[in-house]
Amino acid sequence: MSLVIARNEWRRLFVQPLAWVLLAAVLVMLAYFFLLTLQGFLVLMPKIAGNPAAPGVTDLVALPLLRAIASVLLLVVPLLGMRVFAGDRQSGSLSLLLSAGLSDTRIVFGKYLGLVAFLALLIALALAMPLSLNIATALDLGRLAAAALGLMLFAAALAALAVCASAFAQQPAVAAGLALVLNILLWMLDAGARYEGVTSNFVNYLALPTHLEPFLHGIVAVVDVLYFVLLSVVALALAARRLAASRMRG
Amino acid sequence: MSENSTAPTPLLQLHDVSRLLAGRCVVAHLNLTLDRGSVLGLLGVNGAGKSTTLRMITGVLAPSAGRVLIDGAELREQPRIARRLGYLPETAPLYPELRVSEYLDFCARLRGLRGAKVTQAVSGVIERCGLGDVRARLLGNLSKGFQQRAGIAQALVHAPELIVLDEPASGLDPLQAVQIRALVRELGKEHAVILSTHLLPDVQACCDRVAILHQGTLRYDGPRDALGDDLEAMFLRIVSSDTEAAA
Repeated sequence: MSLVIARNEWRRLFVQPLAWVLLAAVLVMLAYFFLLTLQGFLVLMPKIAGNPAAPGVTDLVALPLLRAIASVLLLVVPLLGMRVFAGDRQSGSLSLLLSAGLSDTRIVFGKYLGLVAFLALLIALALAMPLSLNIATALDLGRLAAAALGLMLFAAALAALAVCASAFAQQPAVAAGLALVLNILLWMLDAGARYEGVTSNFVNYLALPTHLEPFLHGIVAVVDVLYFVLLSVVALALAARRLAASRMRG
Repeated sequence: MSENSTAPTPLLQLHDVSRLLAGRCVVAHLNLTLDRGSVLGLLGVNGAGKSTTLRMITGVLAPSAGRVLIDGAELREQPRIARRLGYLPETAPLYPELRVSEYLDFCARLRGLRGAKVTQAVSGVIERCGLGDVRARLLGNLSKGFQQRAGIAQALVHAPELIVLDEPASGLDPLQAVQIRALVRELGKEHAVILSTHLLPDVQACCDRVAILHQGTLRYDGPRDALGDDLEAMFLRIVSSDTEAAA
């Protein structure tokens, strides 16, 4: 039943201009960034060609692009997810789902899946850029696969945060703002501690980059996978609780 | 829940249902039953607690106290029973960006229909609600009357036993209101219907039973025919007596 809701969310995203505009804008921006880094690499290539230990095209072109995708997702996911519940609540269409006899968890999960599927498309299209280099050169495909997995888990966690913010907010704009603040806080959480010279494992563990970076270096560790899964589960559970509370509180 | 007596379980039972909203008692100790094949008009002025009652029946809102039973089972314990209900809230729950047929397709699947049954149910309900000419149009571009029909179609698509309509004819022009009333009357032949309204013509045109709700309590519950033309007088008496007392 969650799949029925997910399919509908996907369809609704694609018949509205917001998703198309964001998709186009993000891809244009990433393409420009990709061409810049590629140009930089072509200038640098003759100088490092003789050194066998020098970083290759995967390091110098593909990974900067993946990092750019991650930064863009921090801003774009809140916008894509803001309407999920807050928009339905505002238009009065949320009662359609609430009166359908589904558990709140299923409703939340369906909405979440629809958003994650859209983000998967965005990431796949963005990854097609560095992958196109494979025609002319040899990329480290294993490392790119690990990075793609990391990026997908990262996007899924951001989607869960956006869904959660949308479940709590009454208006979509408030939901977007709330999700954005959460994203940026989690993104920069460890930086403040580091500037102060404090190295706290706990603070580091909570921050998003701590768990994304290993994937970009080709390391798939259970602890990092678990972090993203845990973050998603907690955010979605809170969203489901909020729906249940709205039935109780009115 | 098994019944040993010969009387069948009523389709809908409200047992001493109360609801507080923001500290105010909106519905108090409401008892109501509805059998199959009857059309009940829930009559009351704005703020009488009609919408809150209907939201509790459909599970959108949980009662603060009391029980809502659908065919003897509580919605909270068996959420799936909600599939036997169709609900049109005060604002039709439409997705303005979808086409009429896409929207109804989703609504049918949401209530558990699959495969060929979906197509069948959607085309059936489109015909029944007179949406044939607009089936490929976006819901957001339809007139209020057609949007309301799409809202009713959504409540009917899975052929529920009980249809709950919250002010189905409000905000419509007189001609559209007459058409919607005719549709509700038609529905009453096959389904149990409960509709809320503050308009007497709605009750007179469609309902065989009337329940008058005022300030959250049930003031009258009985067959409409027994009242005849006295309905209006009684409704006004109930509504104005408390207002005068308050003044």
